[in-house]
Amino acid sequence: MNVLFTVMFIVCAARLLYLAPQEFLPALLSSASSAATLCLALLSSYCVFCGLSALWEDCGVTSAIARALKKPVRALFKTSDPQFAECVCMNVSANLLGLGALATPYGVRAAELLGGKNNTLSAEKKKTEYSMAVLFTLNAASLQLIPTSVIALRTAVNSASPSSVVLPILLSSLFFLALSLPLTIFVYRPKKTARTARRAAKTSAVKIKTNRLAVAAKNFRSAEK
Amino acid sequence: MKFLACLIPALFLLTFVFAATKKTNVYESFLRGVKKAPPLVLSVFPYIAAVTMVSALFEKSGLQELFLQKAAPWFSAAGVPAELCELILVKPLSGSGATAVLSRILSAHGADSYIGRCACVIYGGNETIFYVSAVYFSGVKHKKIAAATCICAITYVLSVIFSCFLCRVM
Repeated sequence: MNVLFTVMFIVCAARLLYLAPQEFLPALLSSASSAATLCLALLSSYCVFCGLSALWEDCGVTSAIARALKKPVRALFKTSDPQFAECVCMNVSANLLGLGALATPYGVRAAELLGGKNNTLSAEKKKTEYSMAVLFTLNAASLQLIPTSVIALRTAVNSASPSSVVLPILLSSLFFLALSLPLTIFVYRPKKTARTARRAAKTSAVKIKTNRLAVAAKNFRSAEK
Repeated sequence: MKFLACLIPALFLLTFVFAATKKTNVYESFLRGVKKAPPLVLSVFPYIAAVTMVSALFEKSGLQELFLQKAAPWFSAAGVPAELCELILVKPLSGSGATAVLSRILSAHGADSYIGRCACVIYGGNETIFYVSAVYFSGVKHKKIAAATCICAITYVLSVIFSCFLCRVM
């Protein structure tokens, strides 16, 4: 992200400086203000949906769903943190219902739960990266049963059949998932094969050596006696 | 349509009734949830601002137009109408921007035309990838999702082509 941001910014700014330098600052300022407006809109929808989701948490709906989906979540994300499972389940089901505004808070919290752990072990870190990548890919596919916003837009322009695109949208999302998920899992898989095996062999070799040394020293000492 | 309009109100109603029967303190719980919203937005805001700033620069500097001109022949070779290039470019970056472009396409070409249907499928079948990668992982320290973002970007292009193919056959 850092590289992408820097390169894009420098290239665009340089071109704008050459073409129309007076438009540089207004472009930045107006986009910042539109970001602020967007965040205000987000705030209003988060207020509504965070309130709703807190209700779900407190009356046990969230944990019931999470319990029902415990096994697939564990198999897919390779973590058994119950809180994380809850967030992921709610994130996925909100996406399925086409409620992106509700899915985002859960997704952010799930990512925070993953990143908040103090993972000093490298194997543990790899696992976290794996779970994060899977979470991201699932969200990038935006698998939804009812694409509410598209249907609303189509109804607004007097479409003859607003819901005729539901099936193609679902298929296209599935296509996206079918391509990206296996690839992500493959790229981020916790590498157990060559490197760790070699390391294990090395440590055991060192152990054998030290054992032998200890035995030799013992023999030497007893011979001295 | 009636069913869809009822979905969200029914969800709220069911939740409130269920929570009340479970003897939850509905008011306190709701407040607790709302209290979590402002910090969430604040933590997400810098990322949204940065993404919108760069995309505004990209658009204003004329690079977007240049890119679209260069990309259009490639897309039409793959069966994607050239009119959709802007939507395809904007969709991974910003949801509201994509909504604006989609409604413009729908009113220009009609919702039931091939172009309109393609636009809807592209819009609905994909998520704002770069936005998600910036926002979801805003609070995470070590982020190694660059590879996942690349995978999703490549898959996105392929799924756009697939969407247009679907619209042609269905």
